[in-house]
Amino acid sequence: MTLRIHTALGLMLAISGMASAESPVDFVREIQPIFKASCTECHDGKKHKADFRLDSRIDALHGGETGISIVPGRSKNSLLMKRIRGEGDDDRMPVKKPPLTEEQTALVARWIDEGANWPENADGPVAAKVAHWSYVKPVRPSLPSVKHSGWVRNEIDAFVLSRLENEGIEPTSEASREILIRRVSLDLIGLPPTLPEVDAFLNDASPDAYDKVVDRLLASSHHGERWARPWLDLARYADSNGFEKDRVRSMWPYRDWVIDALNDNMGFDQFTIRQIAGDLLPEPTKADRIATGFHRNTTLNEEGGVDPEEYRYYAVVDRVNTTAAVWLGTTMGCSQCHNHKYDPFTMKDYYRLSAFFNSTKEETTKGGGTDPHDVSSKLTVEVPEVKTLEAEIGKLKAQTPHPATSQPTVNRLAEMQKRLDKAKTFSTTLVMAELPNPRETHIHVRGGFLSLGEKVQPDVPASLPRLPATQPAHPSRNRVDLARWLTSPDNPLTARVTMNRFWEAYFGRGLVETSEDFGVQGSPPSHPELLDWLAVEFMDRHWNMKAIHRKIVLSATYRQSSDIASALVEKDPSNKLLARGARFRLEAEMLRDQALGVSGLLSRKRGGPSVYPVQPEGIWNTPYSGEKWIESAGEDRYRRGIYTFMKRSSPYPMFTTFDATSRELICTRRPRTDTPLQALTIMNDPAFVQPAAELARVVVRESGPTISERVTFAFRRVLIRSPDAGEVVRLTALYRKELEQYRHDPKSAALMANSGLGVPPASLPTPELAAWTVVANVLLNLDETLTKG
Amino acid sequence: MIDRDETLKALTRRQLFQRCTTGMGAIALASLLNDDLLAASPTGAMDAMSARQPHFPGTAKRIIYMHMAGAPSQLDLFDHKPKLIEFNGKDVPAELIKNERFAFIKGTPKCLATPHTFARHGMSGAEISNLLPHLATMVDDVCFIKSMHTDHFNHAPAQLFVHTGSQLQGRPSMGSWLTYGLGTPNKDLPGFVVLTSGGVQPDGGTALWGNGFLPSVYQGTQFRSQGNPVLFVSNPEGMSSQVRRESLDALGDLNRLHLSKSHDPEIATRIAQYELAYRMQTTVPELMEIAKEPKEIHEMYGTEPGKTSFANNCLLARRLVERGVRFIQLYHWGWDSHGTTPGDDLITGLPKRCRETDQASTALLKDLKQRGLLEDTLVIWGGEFGRTPMNEARGGSKFLGRDHHPHCFTIWMAGGGIKSGISHGSTDELGYNVAEEGVHVHDLQATILHCMGLDHTKLTYRFQGRDFRLTDVHGKVVEKILV
Repeated sequence: MTLRIHTALGLMLAISGMASAESPVDFVREIQPIFKASCTECHDGKKHKADFRLDSRIDALHGGETGISIVPGRSKNSLLMKRIRGEGDDDRMPVKKPPLTEEQTALVARWIDEGANWPENADGPVAAKVAHWSYVKPVRPSLPSVKHSGWVRNEIDAFVLSRLENEGIEPTSEASREILIRRVSLDLIGLPPTLPEVDAFLNDASPDAYDKVVDRLLASSHHGERWARPWLDLARYADSNGFEKDRVRSMWPYRDWVIDALNDNMGFDQFTIRQIAGDLLPEPTKADRIATGFHRNTTLNEEGGVDPEEYRYYAVVDRVNTTAAVWLGTTMGCSQCHNHKYDPFTMKDYYRLSAFFNSTKEETTKGGGTDPHDVSSKLTVEVPEVKTLEAEIGKLKAQTPHPATSQPTVNRLAEMQKRLDKAKTFSTTLVMAELPNPRETHIHVRGGFLSLGEKVQPDVPASLPRLPATQPAHPSRNRVDLARWLTSPDNPLTARVTMNRFWEAYFGRGLVETSEDFGVQGSPPSHPELLDWLAVEFMDRHWNMKAIHRKIVLSATYRQSSDIASALVEKDPSNKLLARGARFRLEAEMLRDQALGVSGLLSRKRGGPSVYPVQPEGIWNTPYSGEKWIESAGEDRYRRGIYTFMKRSSPYPMFTTFDATSRELICTRRPRTDTPLQALTIMNDPAFVQPAAELARVVVRESGPTISERVTFAFRRVLIRSPDAGEVVRLTALYRKELEQYRHDPKSAALMANSGLGVPPASLPTPELAAWTVVANVLLNLDETLTKG
Repeated sequence: MIDRDETLKALTRRQLFQRCTTGMGAIALASLLNDDLLAASPTGAMDAMSARQPHFPGTAKRIIYMHMAGAPSQLDLFDHKPKLIEFNGKDVPAELIKNERFAFIKGTPKCLATPHTFARHGMSGAEISNLLPHLATMVDDVCFIKSMHTDHFNHAPAQLFVHTGSQLQGRPSMGSWLTYGLGTPNKDLPGFVVLTSGGVQPDGGTALWGNGFLPSVYQGTQFRSQGNPVLFVSNPEGMSSQVRRESLDALGDLNRLHLSKSHDPEIATRIAQYELAYRMQTTVPELMEIAKEPKEIHEMYGTEPGKTSFANNCLLARRLVERGVRFIQLYHWGWDSHGTTPGDDLITGLPKRCRETDQASTALLKDLKQRGLLEDTLVIWGGEFGRTPMNEARGGSKFLGRDHHPHCFTIWMAGGGIKSGISHGSTDELGYNVAEEGVHVHDLQATILHCMGLDHTKLTYRFQGRDFRLTDVHGKVVEKILV
């Protein structure tokens, strides 16, 4: 619609230029004063009554609640004129002031008839909406000059140091190598380093020793696993449908696609295009289609009386809100029911955006146990376990000439068959598939599912850069156009929003703290030039994600110690100015991965259907669902958290206790809380007790014989750094005390040493194992262990 | 009211150090902090759960919400419709079901009279079904709302609607809003506790007590009657309470050593949380230990220690109330009387649910009353929607059952500033629509918050650019039922 207005505007200007002998109305000199005197007291950015503004060009031309108000070239059809003249049932405008004089009325009408020429620069500072920083395309800022240029390792540091020097604050010295390698390993691969890796770094005297660590980590296949975690929060990825029955859904191929794409360092532009529109690319590969699972992660209600169309509408709404939040950092959801109160998004913008997502084959349901999914929007995939199991079954049958006669073989075969059947249920994944004939999209009046308003066509928000002209290949705009627009260099938001999320992951807060809202209501950037520099650098480097990761972790800013000097606390308590390293509690999955990693229990197996680690009885107890949590066998119990089965109605309790969500909706930023339930979890959840018991076995088996050697070994395994004397003394005292206790209580010692891992080898003395388990439990609960420092 | 910024500002005002991790890391469960530690801690005072003043003095200090998941039939328990006897077996009037959408009913359904009998009870003369003989003895302490109505007629969305104000998952629940608004006076227990019975969890899942976009400290904590009463509250097998104490002493010492070097105030908070966790290891099992209640209490509730039952949960609710817990939610599943099997039949299934709940919920009222707790404890009993005046007869089923019905249902409330011995609102002769004084779910929520001293239009939280409320943009306080 807006596009049409603009076209009409151009056309009318041309016509009026030719036809009118009278000099055209001067908006600034003749019209704006009328609006200011009579209209903008109510219709400005502050009050915007009826969602209508006459103080800003864009808003005035967009109209308000009752629709377009100014039709350029047609004063007779312009609602504005009807209201000024008091025609129709509505009150004459202005309500609280004297009506416009005849002369003024005629002037406004002529101005509209001449094309409503409203120069772009006419609004001055009042047009806050258009001028908001994040809607203006970033340009690469020049590097500021700094006094202590010796501290600067790369461009990031110049921006940070310049700000610090302005404030008269000095940066903190570099963290020790032990601290640094733990920090960068957790950040880049989500796992702590192994002791050989630590020792190699400590003993490497070359000037690029740290760079080598960084490059090793960036090349690790665990990098994708770590960075997929926040992305899957944005993608609301889960292994179940949500709502009452909350049945299992096979969606893991999408999760693996994200991990692989990050490991392969796919450009963020391609990463975007494939997830939004992989199915519509010319000759899409299977991987391209799997990527579109991003928008098939919406919830699905399978209850008996559900109106499928209603829940399809909710899914479309969710796709709009999620797309806007992930790429544009905007709170588009507001415009579902009314024009955005603060940011330049109208309801029409909202539903035009929704039109891109409104024509997919759907996942709607008829209930009653039939398969709810349209087969055509489901892709068949290979489950790695199926092949292995089939091979094993074949082998077993071949080895036993008459398998039916041997009871153990019969049992074994039955069990393997059961596993095979289960694995086969995960041989699909949900994908986007466009209908041959697109559905009509309408505005939904006040967001209501049944109240259809004006018909709209797919388009991007009018206040942002336009879509390029439609390619001849596509007769109408589709998701490919949207995805290319999101990652176009003219888009002012995508690169900034993405860089800000990276920054947030490393430093605990974004350069824009409200990483979910870059709009007028969001917080302004602490380092606007740094953000723009990162955004432009990102785009100029072809959206190379690993290049930016590398840039950030190699900066002097990142390498600072996180110890807090008291002077700094007063000047910058929240470390907004970045005069020290980040220090914050690890996220849920990382906490568990770390415990598994330092104990040696961790399985590094990658990909495949989600797994079921140890979980208390009775968590899965959903009505009308016989699905049970059956603990995985073997190493699958100890896979990384990203592979843990995610059931929306009953998520893995340890994760939600540590602020993970149940993935029904996008989560742009997890809060970081500190509660007694968290303490109880790390103290007593078998997911943490088993690693403690395993670490005890490792200590007794692999470390030197003295207690202090063992304390130091265990401490380094968990915290990477070496303990100081006081720490060794305190842990030694605890060990001795508990050893004494367990020597007198063999039954408890046996239980503690077992801790769900099974009876330890006879070569390892039980009381010692029990006492070391207690020590390891303390180590895993240390604040420093739970924290990235 | 208190948005995140306000909370953070308060932190800034009252803390020597502002937390260096940002966002919600700044908020700790410090109300649960030991007072001594609090004084010693540099992180100090402001915390997410400390008791706060309401907008105005409320009539209730705490809430017990008994949710009958599956939606009990109002027509067989509370809302007597003699006209249905006349219409029994006849087609429902066509104008009533014009353009109606049902969960299961197909074609033109037939009216169904209740197979149970009704009688008047108490001074108030409240008419209730013979299936609730215990409640019949307490009707003068109760306010029946017969004109409830909702927007949703599937279990999960309707339950979410009752408890979060939205039919979609992901919004904060009522208990989260209340603890966010008021904190909790208790120092050693969570402020929002959930207990479930009836075999499975309610249809809406844990989202029913989720914190949505509020900080996670406000999420409901589920107490369990089997296994660990609170997840992971017990030490691992082989670790005695003494060993735990000793290991926490070592942990505290090591954390303090680290605090002295890194000066991060978050460490002090962590130390305090571990101490609280240790205390919960005692207070929670004590709380759950109902065996020590006197015999007459067990007889009154029908409790059997060690079992998972609604009765046990009612007794636990009283014990939680006594300990100052702000919001206690009981879910009992199994009221989905469709009439497809003996289990969900109105003659065989429904009475069973009543036997599981009537005595205990009434006992809870009596017990609260005799302890003087009823006057400032708001008790609510109800489902997520009503049931149809017509027989569902799914697939020609011979069992009697009623389909989901959003247009009217009955709940009851008691204590906490609610008028007792009254019945509010009514339905039409066939019990199909509300006739007078309709109470929408958002009105109920507004009223509940009002009893707690909170203005539902002011209890807001900014998320994704918008101020959200429990009642969305709706809700009117039902003044007529207030004392």
